[in-house]
Amino acid sequence: MNLLSLLIFLPLFGAALVLFLPASQTKYFKWITLGFCAVELLAAAVVYHYFDLSNPSFQFVEQTDWITLSLGSLGAVSIDYLLGIDGISLPLVLLTGVVMLVGAVSSWQITSRQRAYFSLYLLLTASIMGCFLALDFFLFFLFFEFMLLPMYFLIGLWGGPRREYAAIKFFLYTLLGSVLILVVMIALYLSAFDPYSSLNAQTIVHTFDLRYLADGHNYLPNSLLNGLSAHQIMGLDARLFLFLVLFAGFAIKLPVVPFHTWLPDAHVEAPTPVSVVLAGVLLKIGGYGFIRIAYNIFPDAAAEYATLLGILGMVSIVYGGFNALAQSDLKKMIAYSSVSHMGFVLLGVASLTPEGLNGAVYQMVSHGVLSAMLFVVTGVLYDRTQNRQIEAYRGLAKPMPAYTTLTAICFFASLGLPGFSGFVGELFTLMGGFQSEFMPKWIATASTLGIVLAAAYFLWTLQRMFFGPLWTQKGVESLLADLTPREKIMLLPLAALTLVLGLFPHFIFDITSATITEFLKKFSLN
Amino acid sequence: MLPIVLLSVFGIVVLFLGFSKSKNILLPATLLFLLVTLIANFVDWNHQYLYFNDMLWGNNASMVFSGIVLLSAFFVVALTRGFEQEGEAAQPAEYYGIMLFSLVGAIMMISYENLIILFVGVEILSVSIYILTGSDKRNLRSNEAALKYFLMGAFATGIMLFGMALMYGATGSFVISDISEIIGTRAWNEQSQLLYAGLLMLLVGLLFKVSAAPFHFWTPDVYDGAPTIFTAYMSTIVKTAGFAALYRLLAGSLASLQDYWFATLATITVLTLLAGNVTAVYQTSFKRMLAYSSISHAGYLLIALTSLTAKSQSSILFYSLAYSLSTVSAFGVLILVSQQQASNNYDAFNGLAKKNPFLAFVLAVSMLSLAGIPLTAGFMGKLFVFTDAAQKGTIWLLVVAILASAIGIYYYFRVLIAAYFKEGDLATIRIAPFYKVVLIIVTTLTIVLGLFPDLVLQLV
Amino acid sequence: MYSDFGQILLFIIVAIAIIGAILIANKIIRPNLPNEEKLTTYESGEDPVGNANVQFNARFYVVALVFVLFEVELLFLFPWATVFGRPELIAQTNGRWGWFALGEMLIFVGILSLGLAYAWVKGYLDWIRPEPKKPDYALKIPKDLYQKINQKYSTHR
Repeated sequence: MNLLSLLIFLPLFGAALVLFLPASQTKYFKWITLGFCAVELLAAAVVYHYFDLSNPSFQFVEQTDWITLSLGSLGAVSIDYLLGIDGISLPLVLLTGVVMLVGAVSSWQITSRQRAYFSLYLLLTASIMGCFLALDFFLFFLFFEFMLLPMYFLIGLWGGPRREYAAIKFFLYTLLGSVLILVVMIALYLSAFDPYSSLNAQTIVHTFDLRYLADGHNYLPNSLLNGLSAHQIMGLDARLFLFLVLFAGFAIKLPVVPFHTWLPDAHVEAPTPVSVVLAGVLLKIGGYGFIRIAYNIFPDAAAEYATLLGILGMVSIVYGGFNALAQSDLKKMIAYSSVSHMGFVLLGVASLTPEGLNGAVYQMVSHGVLSAMLFVVTGVLYDRTQNRQIEAYRGLAKPMPAYTTLTAICFFASLGLPGFSGFVGELFTLMGGFQSEFMPKWIATASTLGIVLAAAYFLWTLQRMFFGPLWTQKGVESLLADLTPREKIMLLPLAALTLVLGLFPHFIFDITSATITEFLKKFSLN
Repeated sequence: MLPIVLLSVFGIVVLFLGFSKSKNILLPATLLFLLVTLIANFVDWNHQYLYFNDMLWGNNASMVFSGIVLLSAFFVVALTRGFEQEGEAAQPAEYYGIMLFSLVGAIMMISYENLIILFVGVEILSVSIYILTGSDKRNLRSNEAALKYFLMGAFATGIMLFGMALMYGATGSFVISDISEIIGTRAWNEQSQLLYAGLLMLLVGLLFKVSAAPFHFWTPDVYDGAPTIFTAYMSTIVKTAGFAALYRLLAGSLASLQDYWFATLATITVLTLLAGNVTAVYQTSFKRMLAYSSISHAGYLLIALTSLTAKSQSSILFYSLAYSLSTVSAFGVLILVSQQQASNNYDAFNGLAKKNPFLAFVLAVSMLSLAGIPLTAGFMGKLFVFTDAAQKGTIWLLVVAILASAIGIYYYFRVLIAAYFKEGDLATIRIAPFYKVVLIIVTTLTIVLGLFPDLVLQLV
Repeated sequence: MYSDFGQILLFIIVAIAIIGAILIANKIIRPNLPNEEKLTTYESGEDPVGNANVQFNARFYVVALVFVLFEVELLFLFPWATVFGRPELIAQTNGRWGWFALGEMLIFVGILSLGLAYAWVKGYLDWIRPEPKKPDYALKIPKDLYQKINQKYSTHR
C-alpha cells in the first residue's frame, strides 16, 4: 500500500478498532488513539524523508478508478481515488501529525463516552489527512464535508453549556461553505475534460482531477468556464463569479471576517482537544483550499481580485485584533486572535509573490503550532477552576511558575517576537503584501496594525492574569496547582517547535519554495 | 405486464388468506409475493416492450423504477409485523391486499404508453391510499386525513382527466409517442392552445400527487393523520411512481415544448423548495417534519425534471431510490420510538442514543442521507440533480436549491440533537430480529450507494 | 372556421336556448292556481312526513355498491356478446376464438364473483347481522317455581 493511503487508512483502522473492542477495554482507548496518532506522525515524517525537495510537482501519486458515470450524449465522468503530495501540502500534513498527537494527549481528560469520542477523533484525523492529500476535487470535497460530522459530534457531545447551539452553528456555516464549493465543482467538471482518457475512449471524459482542472487548455471550447468564452452570470464574467463563490466557500472555513462568527462560539463551547484541532488544523484547510483549488484553477480571477482579497485579509487582521482586545473570556480572546492571524494567511496568498505565498504556508504551520499551544494553556486553567474569565485571576505567577513561563513563551511567540515562528510568518506575508504588483501598498501598511494589536491584547492579558499579588475567587486558590507532567509533555515540545521554526525557518521554506515558484509562473504570464 | 397480473392475483389471494385462522401467515405470504413480483419484474430485461395494444411500454429504466417501487414496498411491508399493534379492529389481510393492488397502479403509472393507462394507474394508486390513510377507524385525525386527501385528490384527478381530454382534442391521440410526433411537426408557437391548457391541467394533477407546491397543502395533514406505516408507504411509492410518470410525460411526448413548460415548472420547483424547507423548520413533530421534507425532496426531484437533460432520468431514478431508502429507515425508527413514547415529537427522541445506539445510528444515517451529507446515497442523488441544473445552465435554480439544502440541515439535525445530545428517559426498545435485519439492509444500502453510485446507474 | 369542439359548443348553446324557450313558454301559457295540496312536496301520492334530510341506513350503500359493480359487469357483457359469437372470427381461428373469449369473460366474472364471495363471507350482505344476545346470568329461583305459579293461575281462571 502506498504511503499516502496509509496516512488516511491508518486512523480509519484505529477508529474501527476502538469501535469494535469490547467495553471492558475502555481504559486502553486513549492509548490506542495516542499510538495511532504517533504512528501517523511517524508516517508523515517518513513521507518527508523520501520527499524530493527540488521537485515542484506532485509526488507519491496514487490513482485508482472509483466512480465512472455515463452521461449519455455528453460523454462520461470519471471520479478517481487520486492522492498526491507537493510542497504546499507536505508542511500541513506534518502539522496535522503534530497537532493530532497533541490533541490525543490533551484528550486524556475525556471521561464520558470514551468509545464514541476516540473513534470520532480518529475519524476526524483520517478526513483531515484526506483533505490535504486528495488531488481529485470530488475526493477533496468528500473529505472536506465529511470532516464536519465528527467535528459536529465532538463539539455537540463533549462541549460546554451552549454546545448544541455552537455545534449546529458550526455545521450550518461550514456546510453553507461547502455547498458553495459544490456549485463550482459541478460547473468545473461540466466544462473541463481529461485530455488523455478522452483520446482513448473516443468520447469526452469529464474529470475532477485537479491537475487537469488547473490547465486552461483542458476546458471545452465555449463551455461555461473556458477562459475564452464570454459567459456571464449575474452581470459578471462566469470565471470571476465562480471564483468568488469558491472563495466564499473557503473563506468561511479560514475564517475571513464577514464569515467568522461561527468560530468564537465553536471554540468557546468545544472541549480543549477539539479546540486544539479546530484552530490547529481545521482552519488551515481553508487556506490550503485557497492555494490548491481557488488560485490554482482561477489564476486570472485571483489576479483580478487581488486587491479585494487583500483588503479582506487586512480587515480580518485588524477587526480580529480589536475584537480580541475587547474579550473578557480567555478562550474567546484566543479565538479572535486566530481570526487575526489567519488574516495574514489571506494577505500573503492574495499578494501573489513568492514571499507572500511561502509566508502564508509558513504562517499556517506556525499558527497551527501556536494556537494548539494557546488552547492547551487555556484548557489547563479551565480544568482546574472551570472558569475562563480573565478578570477572575491575578498574580498566577506565584502558585504556577512553570505554567506562567510556558504561557509567556507562547504569548510572546504569538505576538510576533523575533526568534519565534509567529514573527517569521507575519514578516514574510507582510513583505509579500508590500512587494505585490497586484495590490496597493496601503493594505500591507494597514495590516501592520494587527501586530501592534496582538502585542496589546497578549501583553495586557499576561499582565492582568499573571503579574501582581495573587488574587482569585474564594476557594479557587487551593485548586491552582502547577503543570502536571502530562501537560508539560504537550506544551514543551510545542514551545520547542515554535522556537526551532522561528530560528531555522528554512525547514519549511525548503519544502515550499520549489512548488511555489512553479505555482507562481501561472500569474507571471498575465 | 407480468408484475401487474401477478400483483392483481396475489392481492386477491391475500384477501382470501385473511379468512384462515392463523393471521401469522399473512406477512410472510405478502413478502414472498412481493419478492416473486420483484423477480418477475425483470423478465423483460434488455428488451423494450409494448403490451396490451400499445397501452403499456417499458424498457430497462422503467423496470428499474418498478423495481424501486417494489423494493420499497417490500421494506415497508416488512416493517408492519402483521399490524399486531392495531388491535382487533385491524384488518391485516385487507391492508396487505390493498397495498398489493396499489402497486398495480404504481407500475401502470411508471410504464404507461397511453394516457388512459396513466389515469387508471393514478386512480388505482390513489383510491388504495385513501383507504389506507383512513384505516385507523377510531382515530379522528386519521378519518380527517382520509377525507381531506380523498376530496382534494378527487378534484386533482378530475382536473387531470380534463387535461387529458384537451390534449386529445389538440392532437387526436392518447398515445405518448403519437402525441410527440404530432407536436414535433409544428413549431411551438403554432400549437393549438388546447394543447397548452391540457398540458397545464395534466401537470397540475400529477404534481398534486407528488405534493409539489402550491398543490401541497394536503401533505402535512395526511402524513400526520395516517398511521405511520402507511405514511412511510405513500411517501415512498407515490413519489417514485409520480415522478416516473411525470418524466415519461415530459420526456416522452413534450420534450420539444420545453421552452414552453420550463418557466412554469421552474416556478413550481422554486416554490416547492421554499415551501417545503422553510415550513419544515417550524415543526415540532418529527412526523410532520418528514411530511414537509417530502415536499422539499419533491422540489429537488423537480429540478432534474425541469432541466430535462440526457441524464435526468438516471438522476430521478437514483434520487428516488436514495430518498425511499432513507425515508423507510426514518419511519422505521419513528414507529418504534413513538410506540414507546406515545408521541411523534422531537422530544420523544431525547436520549435515544444512550440505550439504543443501533436505532440512533440508523436514524443518523437516514437523516444525513436526507440532508445530503457525503458518503450517503442522498448526497450522490443531490449531486446528480444539481448537475442536471448546471447542464441546463440554470444557475439561479441551483442557488435556490443549495440554500434550501442548507436550511434542510437545520431541521434534519434537530432530531439528531435530541437523540444524541439531550438527556432523556427512553428505555431500551426491543426490536424484533426481522425488523432489525430490514433496518440494517436499508442503512447499508444507503451507505453503499453513497460510495458506489454506479452500481445502480449502470443498469439504466 | 370552427373545430369539432366548436360544434359541441354550438350544441350546448342551442340546447340551453331551446330548454330556456320551452320553460319560458310554459310559464306564460300555463294557468297558475296554487293551493295547499299542489304546493306540497311530491312523494308518489303519499303525504310527506318529517324532514327530507334523514339519515339512511349505511347498509344501503354497501348493497348499492355491489349492485353498481354487477351493473357494470352487465354493461361489459353486451359488447362482449357481439364479438363472442362472430362466425368469421371463429372460422379464422379454427374455433379457438370462442373458447378464448369465453375464457376471458369467465376470468372477469370469476374475479367479480370472488369479490362477491368475499363480501358475503365477511357478512357485508346480511341486512341485519344476527347477534343473538343470550342472557348469561344464573337465576337463583328454581324453574319449577315459575311453572307452579303459571299452572296455578291458568287453572284458577
